[in-house]
Amino acid sequence: MSAQAVARRPIADTGRRPINWRRTRRLTGLMVALLFFLFLAFFPIFFMIHGAFVADYDLIDPSVSPFWFSRPLTLTHLTYLFDHTNFVVWAKNSAVVSGAVVAITLVVCLPGGYALARLRFAGAQNIGIAIFMTYLVPPILLFLPLVQIVGNVFNLLNTKWALVLVYPTFTIPFCLWLMMGFFRRIPIEIEEAALVDGCNRWQAVWHVVLPVSVPGILTAAIFAFTLSMQDFIYALVMVSPSAEKVLTIGIPTELIRGDVFYWGELFTAALIPAVVVATLYNFFLDYFVEGITGGAIK
Amino acid sequence: MYILLLVGYPFFLALYFSLSSVTVAGGDNGYVGLSNFLQLGEDPQFWTAFLNSWVFTFVGEIGKAVLGISLAFLLLALLREARSRFGRGSVWVIRGLIMIPWTMPISLAIWGWKWMYDPQFSVINRVLGDWLHVMQHPYPDWLGDPLFTRIAIVAVIIWKGFPFTAVIVLAGLTSIPQDIFDAAKVDGAGWLRTWHYVITPMIAPILFIGLIFDVTYTLADVTIVYLLSNGGPYGTTEILPTIAYHTGIQGGNLSHGAADALVLFPFLLIAMVFFLRLLYRRQEA
Repeated sequence: MSAQAVARRPIADTGRRPINWRRTRRLTGLMVALLFFLFLAFFPIFFMIHGAFVADYDLIDPSVSPFWFSRPLTLTHLTYLFDHTNFVVWAKNSAVVSGAVVAITLVVCLPGGYALARLRFAGAQNIGIAIFMTYLVPPILLFLPLVQIVGNVFNLLNTKWALVLVYPTFTIPFCLWLMMGFFRRIPIEIEEAALVDGCNRWQAVWHVVLPVSVPGILTAAIFAFTLSMQDFIYALVMVSPSAEKVLTIGIPTELIRGDVFYWGELFTAALIPAVVVATLYNFFLDYFVEGITGGAIK
Repeated sequence: MYILLLVGYPFFLALYFSLSSVTVAGGDNGYVGLSNFLQLGEDPQFWTAFLNSWVFTFVGEIGKAVLGISLAFLLLALLREARSRFGRGSVWVIRGLIMIPWTMPISLAIWGWKWMYDPQFSVINRVLGDWLHVMQHPYPDWLGDPLFTRIAIVAVIIWKGFPFTAVIVLAGLTSIPQDIFDAAKVDGAGWLRTWHYVITPMIAPILFIGLIFDVTYTLADVTIVYLLSNGGPYGTTEILPTIAYHTGIQGGNLSHGAADALVLFPFLLIAMVFFLRLLYRRQEA
């Protein structure tokens, strides 16, 4: 057989390569598996996209396929959301809260991370780890005491500033850990070079270290943002006036009235921020994984 | 000295900030006292929640492991194929799509599920029942029946978590040099043996950290159960975080609510100790 194949090759070889069946089979298998996982990950989202654009009656009409539509597609859910609900207010609140949280987190984590990375005393490493451990203490253990503190000490309950106050409890540990890793990877020699060239410590940090750690700072900012957008429990227990709500809590509490689900509006309202967060998150996913595995990969 | 002052102050500020959350929980524990915990032990609702917490997490973790590990291998193979053919960008896009369950905030993405579980218009029932006739009437009431509600919750937990498992495992896999896979192949190791004897020992630390992270996250997450079933029907799907919320905030009994939540703490502590030991061992090596 192999002799035949060898003998035939000069004739068959007219520029086209013979099909490699094993490879084709392997590739097909991979593609099928990939499609399976894509389907698995995507189907609940599909119904949200579907529901966001079809007319209300299409959703509940048993003669219409749940995957398709019969009445014309519509943007009424979107316009309703903007005209008749507090969606815009919630979105603004979310932006304000997340923005403030990002700012606080960076203000604490940049110097903190730098200190932890550069400090040469025995406890520095342990303190770094201790801070990351606090990230493993979940909000569910803290939300009851925190409600008391926010209410009694700061008198901020039922305002969005309550969230600005508590979100750093989980963004700071994680971002500090991230920044520590980043600063540690910047060689100390470039700082020393700057010092030799006549910079003082501030100038060395400002002109040399900060510019090279921009990706790290950006990552920390993005994670402070996405983490604060993912919170649910704090927003649920701390803020109840509609005008102060953030998106994650405004949507389930005000687009469901009693037993009536405003499905189209729900889906639209959920999709807009969800897509934004998912996209941002995905850009920086590798850093997230690295943060969690504690640089154990390298 | 100068350096110490410059970097020391923000450093202690950071330390204070991140540790304050912990001492707050500890302080509250002082108020509560043991009697609340003893009362919990007599409350059947508490035991339902306790059991549910663990069952959901355990079954969820198995599901995530099965799906996540297979997905990790798939992505690894694709990464190798696609890098030579289409460039890395295509892999990045595909990964982004598959990661959606993890990257989207669950409190927003859950509405797709809520719709699929709808008692009247459930898409699942319409497809499996009306179209494919896999199910008979009466169709399951996904969020109205204790058993089906549990299944529904675990499904969402798995859906949310499997991409994370995959990324963690993938991070481990890509850290293993290709030679080692080749060597295992040459030595005649099959897929299972390669996994068991070659891959697992090499990426055990990463797997373990990922597992700790995910278990604590799943145990403590209130969002999925709260939004899907809110502990219903009749409290059969309550978990510790939801009863902490129900008794602590809605019932106004702060000390009981805090006790409900703090029951989780010993388990989290164990997880942390493991995590620490792992980190230190790595540093020594």
